Amino acid sequence: MRDYRGLIFAYNANPELRELVSVRTAASLPFCGRYRLIDLALSSMRNAGILDVGVIMQRDYQSLLDHIGSGKAWDMSRRSGGLRMLPPFGLPQYHTGEYNGTMEALNTVAEYVRSLPQEHIVLLLGNLCANIDLMEVIRQHARSGADITAVCADHTPAGRHHRFVVGPDGFVQKMLLYREGPGEGLASLEAYVVHKDQLLDLMDRCRAERLPMFHQDALPMFFAEGGRMDVYVHHGYAQIISTVEDYYTANMDMLRSENRRSIFPADRPVRAKAHEEVSSYYGEHAVSRRSLVADDCIIEGEIENCIVFPGVRIAQGAKIKSSILMRGCQIGEGVDLENVIADKHCSFSPGAKLMGSPKLPMVIPKNSQI
Amino acid sequence: MKKKCIAMLLAGGQGSRLYALTQNEAKPSVPFGGKYRIIDFPLSNCANSGIDTVGVLTQYRPRQLNSYIGNGQPWDLDSSDGGVFILPPYQSAGEKGSWFSGTANAIYQNIGFIESYDPENVLILSGDHIYKMDYAAMLREHLLKDAACTIAVLQVSMEEATRFGIMNVGEDGYVCEFEEKPKHPKSDLASMGIYIFNWAKLKAYLMADEQDPNSSKDFGKNIIPNMLAAGEKLWPYRFEGYWRDVGTITSLWDANMDMLSTTLINLYDPSWPIGARSPICPPHFTGDHAEIIHSIVTEGCEVDGHVENSVLSTAVTVEEGASVVYSVLMPGAVVKEGAVVEYAIVGENTVIESGAHVGAPPDGSDSWGVATCGPDIVIRGGAQVPAGAMIYTGEEV
Repeated sequence: MRDYRGLIFAYNANPELRELVSVRTAASLPFCGRYRLIDLALSSMRNAGILDVGVIMQRDYQSLLDHIGSGKAWDMSRRSGGLRMLPPFGLPQYHTGEYNGTMEALNTVAEYVRSLPQEHIVLLLGNLCANIDLMEVIRQHARSGADITAVCADHTPAGRHHRFVVGPDGFVQKMLLYREGPGEGLASLEAYVVHKDQLLDLMDRCRAERLPMFHQDALPMFFAEGGRMDVYVHHGYAQIISTVEDYYTANMDMLRSENRRSIFPADRPVRAKAHEEVSSYYGEHAVSRRSLVADDCIIEGEIENCIVFPGVRIAQGAKIKSSILMRGCQIGEGVDLENVIADKHCSFSPGAKLMGSPKLPMVIPKNSQI
Repeated sequence: MKKKCIAMLLAGGQGSRLYALTQNEAKPSVPFGGKYRIIDFPLSNCANSGIDTVGVLTQYRPRQLNSYIGNGQPWDLDSSDGGVFILPPYQSAGEKGSWFSGTANAIYQNIGFIESYDPENVLILSGDHIYKMDYAAMLREHLLKDAACTIAVLQVSMEEATRFGIMNVGEDGYVCEFEEKPKHPKSDLASMGIYIFNWAKLKAYLMADEQDPNSSKDFGKNIIPNMLAAGEKLWPYRFEGYWRDVGTITSLWDANMDMLSTTLINLYDPSWPIGARSPICPPHFTGDHAEIIHSIVTEGCEVDGHVENSVLSTAVTVEEGASVVYSVLMPGAVVKEGAVVEYAIVGENTVIESGAHVGAPPDGSDSWGVATCGPDIVIRGGAQVPAGAMIYTGEEV
């Protein structure tokens, strides 16, 4: 896979993720008890043998840098190539504030993209919750002779998404932007394999015309010129995480074994930074049903339908239902929580009761004392 | 590069009293306490004590141990001017080469390694003890007492003293006599098999002992008595805290059960982390029928059955209707629907099929013991593995 370079977009901090992205970007959202969302993209790259990967960041990337480090967990700490973190660089006249789209983000690292020795680029979102077999995507891309291969879902994901309709020649005939619910064509997971020259050409033209978006601006240019796009269908779990509800639902979806099998297949493991090395302990009165619990937790109370991150302590008599407890949360005696997302290091004094709804889970910001 | 103290970890023994568990791997790499292997404890103690250079002496079936230790990164021992080094027996020019013939001989054969760090002191450790200990505190006392050798000792009961090497202490506090497993102990200070030697002195005694054809080339039997006889200053460093030798099936099982009690040994203390090299697995999943009581469970486990007073290592499966009580399940073990495992140790990747029954509760008889299944075994459905049984890899059950 030496001909392929990975680029992961990790700058997105959709406001609909509310408090969850006040301290981080969507890509570094804690996921499924011990991961960050970006672990999935990095692991997909790693499992396809793509070890040269750039991560495009913009703001609030402290937690991302902490988590990714040298890239060692994904074997991307290399003497040559390997992981490159790409904070904003250059082009101040073009972008102000947040990146308005993928093309703008790419153009801020244009020199980097231009300098890449690889012929093909794999573009992946840092906030895509899917374990994509990129090896298969690349194989299909090479076989079809397409200029771009788009990875699409085999189902209709929640929320707004772009769709591709494939024509009789097997290539994309039309693109449907910002659709919601089922419909014609296949939903894009915004993962693409593209020839470097093709990408650079689109980048140059978008920069000249100050067009920031990939789907809205660059792809119409590409299709207008008769560009050939192939579609690879990813079978299995896939959801782009853009809202609190997406985030909550994706975590809860991991309580179903078929979803876990799709996200954590034995032959394409999800790699992550190593953490504390101690098992979790259940006390004499603990109850744990339909839950995922990471290491280094001490559980004396009751949990049901929960995702529990490392370092969580749950005192006796506490009842936690359908909630996400991030690293280091302290739950006092008799605390009652339902449909709550407690960010890192929240503490709940004895007797506290909080309830959200599945559609609108209650988000407790990092370090809160309740 | 001159070092104040380096550590030499004796990890070459077979651990023959662990039978099936050490049939194919060395004792220090036997899984322990959910996340760990036994050797994690001395390695983590070294790192936490600021000892950045550790030689690990291997001999018996070292493959898993070597790959487990790797570059020492999980214990933060991958430093540029030290690190962890695997030291197998080797052959020199013009010699036939030989196995390590005793603990002292193992160190003797690695004098060259030690000299390359020019250390003032050498810490000698065993690869079969579970404990948290600050070797830096021991080293400070060693230097303060100007000792040739400082021996870590633990206060035991007089009954237990008959099973240990016992240090008798004079009025000045220094060791005046050493007795191996005395019938009538005069002291209750048991050697923990942890020594700090002044390197220049130790080297001289190792060279001399090597010339003695009658020596068994052992620290406890030869080096320590020789130093005492020569009037060297030997200081007992009193250790207070949890310490267990896990050389037998019963002691290994007992020590695993101890991990359930943070009052005995607190593994959740962030100031003294025990590192381990473990695969990244998803969090453990507890199903609709899971009942987990007073137990530890590790990432990658899938539990839908009854688990009580037990230690579940990485990626263990306990299916619906299965029962695991007072048992230690090593990584990848599977207990299928309706199987019962009680008072047992189940080796890595061993499968207990539906309806099988492994182990039995204590019945007061002398013949009772913990049932042990080695790694990579399939215990067939309906099979009964009695208390105290020892099932080896390759056996049909």
